[in-house]
Amino acid sequence: MGQEVDMKPADPAPPSVLSQMKVVITSIEKGVSNKEMRLMARANRQMLVVRRQLNASVVNAFLKHALPAGSDALARLSPFVAGIAKNEKDMDVDTPPISGQSHVSQKQSGLPEVEIFCYLLVTIFLIDQKQLEESKTCSSAAVKRLQQLNRRTLDVLAARVYYYYSYSHELTNSLADIRGTLLALHQTATLRHDELGQETLLNLLLRNYLHYNLYDHAEKLRSKTQRSDSHSNQQLCRYLYYLGKIRTIQLEYTDAKECLLQAARKAPTSARGFKIQCTKWAVIVRLLLGEILERTTFMQPGMRKALRPYFDLTNAVRIGDLELFRQVAEKYSSVFTADKCHNLIVRLRHNVIRTGLRNISIAYSRISLADVATKLHLDSATPVDDAESIVTKAIRDGGIDASVDHSNGWMQSKETSDIYSTQEPQQAFHSRIAFCLNTHNEAVKALRFPPDAHKKQLESSEKRRERQQQEQELAKHIAEEDDDEF
Amino acid sequence: MAVVASASGLLAMLQEQHPTLKLHALRNLNVLVDNFWPEISTNISAIESLYEDETFHERQMAALVASKVFYYLGELNDSLTYALGAGSLFDVTEDTEYVQTLVAKCVNEYISLSVKLAESNDSETTEMDPRLVAIVERMLDKCMQEGKFQQAVGISLECRRLDKLEEAINRSENAASMLSYCLRLSQTFVSRREFRHEVLRLLVKGYQNFPQPDYLSICQCLMFLDEPGKVADILDKLLKGDKNEALLAYQVAFDLFENEYQKFLLNVRDLLPEPSSAASTTGILATNGRLNQGSRNENGISALTDAGPTAMDSDLTEPLLARHDEEVATDAAAAAASPAAQAESRTPYAERLAKLKGILSGETPISLTLQFLYSHNRSDLLILKTIKQSVEMRNSVCHSATIYSNALMHAGTTVDTFLRENLDWLKRATNWAKFSATAGLGVIHRGHHQQGRSLMAPYLPQNGGTGGGSPYSEGGALYALGLIHANHGEGIKQFLLESLRNTSNEVIQHGACLGLGLAALGTADEEIYEDVKNVLYTDSAVAGEAAGIAMGLLMVGTASEKAAEMLAYAHDTQHEKIIRGLALGIALVVYGREEEADTLIEQMTRDQDPILRYGGMYALAMAYRGTANNSAIRRLLHFAVSDVSDDVRRTAVLALGFVLCSEPEQTPRIVSLLSESYNAHVRYGAAMAVGISCAGSGSSEAISLLEPLTSDAVDFVRQGALIAMAMVLLQTTEAREPRVASFRRLLEKIINDKHEETMSKMGAILAQGILDAGGRNVAIMLQSRTGHDRVTAVVGMAVFSQFWYWYPLIYFISLSFAPTAFIGLNEELRMPKFDFISDTKPSLFGYPPSVVPPAATSAVKLPTAVLSTSNRAKVRGAKKESENKSGKAPVQEGGATASSTNAEGSGDGDKESTSTMKDKNAMDIEGGVEKKAVVEPSSEVLSNPARVVPAQEKYIKFKEDSRYAPLKLKRAPSGFVMLRDMTPSEPVELVSTDTPVSAGGASAAAAATAAAAPMAVDDNEPPPPEPFEYVP
Repeated sequence: MGQEVDMKPADPAPPSVLSQMKVVITSIEKGVSNKEMRLMARANRQMLVVRRQLNASVVNAFLKHALPAGSDALARLSPFVAGIAKNEKDMDVDTPPISGQSHVSQKQSGLPEVEIFCYLLVTIFLIDQKQLEESKTCSSAAVKRLQQLNRRTLDVLAARVYYYYSYSHELTNSLADIRGTLLALHQTATLRHDELGQETLLNLLLRNYLHYNLYDHAEKLRSKTQRSDSHSNQQLCRYLYYLGKIRTIQLEYTDAKECLLQAARKAPTSARGFKIQCTKWAVIVRLLLGEILERTTFMQPGMRKALRPYFDLTNAVRIGDLELFRQVAEKYSSVFTADKCHNLIVRLRHNVIRTGLRNISIAYSRISLADVATKLHLDSATPVDDAESIVTKAIRDGGIDASVDHSNGWMQSKETSDIYSTQEPQQAFHSRIAFCLNTHNEAVKALRFPPDAHKKQLESSEKRRERQQQEQELAKHIAEEDDDEF
Repeated sequence: MAVVASASGLLAMLQEQHPTLKLHALRNLNVLVDNFWPEISTNISAIESLYEDETFHERQMAALVASKVFYYLGELNDSLTYALGAGSLFDVTEDTEYVQTLVAKCVNEYISLSVKLAESNDSETTEMDPRLVAIVERMLDKCMQEGKFQQAVGISLECRRLDKLEEAINRSENAASMLSYCLRLSQTFVSRREFRHEVLRLLVKGYQNFPQPDYLSICQCLMFLDEPGKVADILDKLLKGDKNEALLAYQVAFDLFENEYQKFLLNVRDLLPEPSSAASTTGILATNGRLNQGSRNENGISALTDAGPTAMDSDLTEPLLARHDEEVATDAAAAAASPAAQAESRTPYAERLAKLKGILSGETPISLTLQFLYSHNRSDLLILKTIKQSVEMRNSVCHSATIYSNALMHAGTTVDTFLRENLDWLKRATNWAKFSATAGLGVIHRGHHQQGRSLMAPYLPQNGGTGGGSPYSEGGALYALGLIHANHGEGIKQFLLESLRNTSNEVIQHGACLGLGLAALGTADEEIYEDVKNVLYTDSAVAGEAAGIAMGLLMVGTASEKAAEMLAYAHDTQHEKIIRGLALGIALVVYGREEEADTLIEQMTRDQDPILRYGGMYALAMAYRGTANNSAIRRLLHFAVSDVSDDVRRTAVLALGFVLCSEPEQTPRIVSLLSESYNAHVRYGAAMAVGISCAGSGSSEAISLLEPLTSDAVDFVRQGALIAMAMVLLQTTEAREPRVASFRRLLEKIINDKHEETMSKMGAILAQGILDAGGRNVAIMLQSRTGHDRVTAVVGMAVFSQFWYWYPLIYFISLSFAPTAFIGLNEELRMPKFDFISDTKPSLFGYPPSVVPPAATSAVKLPTAVLSTSNRAKVRGAKKESENKSGKAPVQEGGATASSTNAEGSGDGDKESTSTMKDKNAMDIEGGVEKKAVVEPSSEVLSNPARVVPAQEKYIKFKEDSRYAPLKLKRAPSGFVMLRDMTPSEPVELVSTDTPVSAGGASAAAAATAAAAPMAVDDNEPPPPEPFEYVP
């Protein structure tokens, strides 16, 4: 949770940062005039490319380029940058002087989109420069400005602003303060059918609640809000991740597993931190479900080290050794606490017992409950009763395939039946096929068809006439040939 | 925040026994609900039960909290119910999203409820929640207090609160603009006819409340309400007023005339007092006036303004004076009528009355229009000549298409030079082609009321029997008479009726029926109807079809019982032609009746017979013409894709054009998918729909949609697209839309192409005719300038679209032509000399350049170097330039460019060519060079009467220092405009009118007996050639 769950593509070194930024502005302007959300999203991506090369003078020059002189936003934003500029004065000798800016300034559009973009840029810049308090004020100002505007072309940028608004507060550990604002923003977004904003804000709210372990609140909010089809893959990933966590806490492991696995699967490859988090939770959930994970899960490139504690944990559960389990839990307790899954580790104890139980049920076709208790090292006051309840629960959950004979006090294992004689394989196939078809359909839906593209393929009138003439001649020819035969 | 982390404590408190605790909890929840609604929503039932608990005394607080929670949950309906329950706690003035959303919801709810209430009429009248009403009213009041009257008017119109509407109009500072806004809204957004009438009544009342009532608008409204009596009263009152008021009366009459409700106009005219009786009463006044004369003369100024010496004879001043103080006069009216007064037959009032009646009956405007079209005729005979030459002789379709094209090009200009020059060629027309060739004369002479009959005399059936011409030309002549007198057929009705009775030949019956229908358009004349019905019952296919259409034309917009009768006969008869005629007729009967027609439409569209379904499509088109009614559009689109018959589908799409003709910018978007349909009929329909609704708009979207269709794989789609394109590009210049030129080239190419199919060739020929229609001085206008539909035009267009089955119906398109003219008139209804400015480049709205005859191919080639006469030419060039400035620049310049390119294209050649030729080319080159240097002027001066294209209207400016000024400045500067004379003392200089006169009768008849195929034999001289400069 402590890691930033942001997805940033790596970038090659560009020629000139400022010129690239100007390209961003033009793409925003074009997006606004054509009401094309895609271009706005592209602007966002373009900015991320140059993010690493930003420095105070570039940002400053850019602000002067983009914002009309004397505007409110410029007055508000330039002090932030100026603060940083002072710190790095000695190093920006080689940056381009601001002389070239005077002639471009006449085409300042004063679009609110550009203004918000500048806010966003400065916020990100401040975060990168570790000026967290300033970034907090800056992003708050941006949000305040956004609340006054009601333009659908802003949605994409607004979603980004909200994200950094929340992120800067998280870094300064003041998330609780903005919960009210986020709720209000979320409601506004709902009313305006700003679906992207709605999604982003819901995720931020969930993150906000989960940060304080308010799982109950989070679940209530989640279940009460109206959700539409997802627009952004990233937001969907996050949502699934948070939902998975909530479900885990609520003991709905099957759902949780599905959510977490899907989140991990859908996340872009570059978002490694996010993937690791997802995998960790998925591992625990699967262990809680009684599954034993394959070794390869922990051997994924780049995750090996981070997943080490979970690997050991899995090993303990697999063997069903309570003693080993206790040792592992103790050894890595700091890691688990940081990952906020310590309470789940505690829950796992049952699973260790159950794994042991399964081993027993496979080994013995019939065994007395007292023996079960000793084998499992149950050292409570009434081991037999405990064993009975554990066995019963395991049977009900489908962990083992057995029955309990209460009068005689033993557990009777059932013969393992041939799974291929059941509907099981068919269902498994069906679910896989359905998944593939669904993926295909979604891919088709996501395709963009430029208007009038099909018209190019239509033949022109001249060509058609030519063709018709040829056909006619051919027909004549054939007719003549037919005549010749007789 | 941070103080409370959860609302669970408060929620628990709700379960307590003590009401104080509950209240405390509620109050706190109300504050916290914004942040904790997810939590609270789990306990919403507790809050709801608190609200329902009668004993709990703070139920309203509970309602408010519940409302907010539901709002956050997105359940706006529930939220609204509880907000209403919260009573005064729900503060409408609060500036939060919650309140705004709910108020908006509230207004929506109210609108939908009141609309439902209004439309369900009688049964289960659901009670309106008074609290809801209160909130809406509070919002409306707030709206008005903040001066947002437009919003208030809009909302009250939507929720059908006439009282609030009235209040909004009265309270606004600028009631006049509010009224006109409201009028526009009522025409565009109010979809129910009855309610619209109520609004109009209210508007009339509103207009009348002004100290200076806006009679133009009042009379428009009254026309919609069909109350000729009130209009007559107003006009009468105005006529009795001073000179300006009389001018206003004329203006009103002209505006009413533009809407072309023949029946209404005639009613108004008949309700006005008879000129003779008026003369006698005012005669008395006149004598009285003379008695008062001495005293009146003291008020010299008023007398002067009152009775300008522009009047023809100075005697007129006296009676004018007299009428000025009417009270005195009426007192004296009791006195016995003196014989002296009787003798003075032409009192000014009577004169004015006569003039007004002249306008209302259409005489004056039509003859003025005719003059305009005749004198400004700019049709290009060369185009026709090219068509004629390139069309194959044997192909009768193209042959008659050329005749149609000629008729359309010269519609209303009375110029039939082309026909007269090509009599031999014309003789090829036989049978029905002869019918339409004769009828074409009617289009050319449209509006030529006085001479019409004598013009057609040679072709008309002789009373003695059928001895004379062929029945085809006789039938055609009757049809032509109908076209001449279309919508103003008072004079000719009787003659046509007799012709119909006297014949049993079905071709003549056909012509007579169409003629009658046209002449008596919309008059619902019982006598004619019975006669036409008798023709129908003879069950002859040819005559029956025309009879069906004629019945529809007669009964346009009456929605009378006759429709059912016609439908019944359509079921009885076996002839498809008759069924089709009747189907169209029924459609015309329900013209403009909107919802009222729905039962009939339903009946027709469910019929088994595709022809009746096809009629149903037309009925939809006619009933909902220009309303852009959503349900009509939906129904049409449904039929366009689901019917089994191609004809029905085609018509359904075509009908969209009529429904959307008030919002042309919508049509291309709506039919764009249909225009790519696999079904050629649907594509054809889409093309025509765009043509009909975007006619004359030059809209680039429409052109982009039509362009690919002009090279469609199917011939008739090309035909439709070409015609539609011509309609769209009518009066659009190259400067405004460069694709005009390429379209003209395309037409030429198609006409000349030997391999082109006949269908599309015919389309191209017709398109040429439409593109240059009416001597390039008319536009297709389905709506008048005030935004109301022109019945004749829409009906004409609808019947025109039938040409798919019956070519002679092509002529009906001439009904939808309206001259694009500015005709300024003075008090005498004559055109004074008067200039005004069009503040834009002349080329933007000018006439298209005339076609240059292909240069004599070989001999003219001439190098530019051999210019012995260059000096002279230069002088002439300069002269020419000065001429260019003087007004007629665009055409000449166009000509110059064209010929200069010719010259440039020529290589070196024969130096021995004639000196005139040399000279000409030299001059052209000079002209071309000059032209590049000359910057086109940014404005031009137009003189009365002038061609003003609709798109040009906004550039028209009047000179400040001009002697004349238009009576109503706000009115669009086109059509008939009454001018006020600023300096009445000066003598009036009138525009010399060159009326198309024809000697008529005798000689023509003589010619007719002589010629075997009497064609165009009237004595009408061709117009004199344009003044030109002789270049030696």
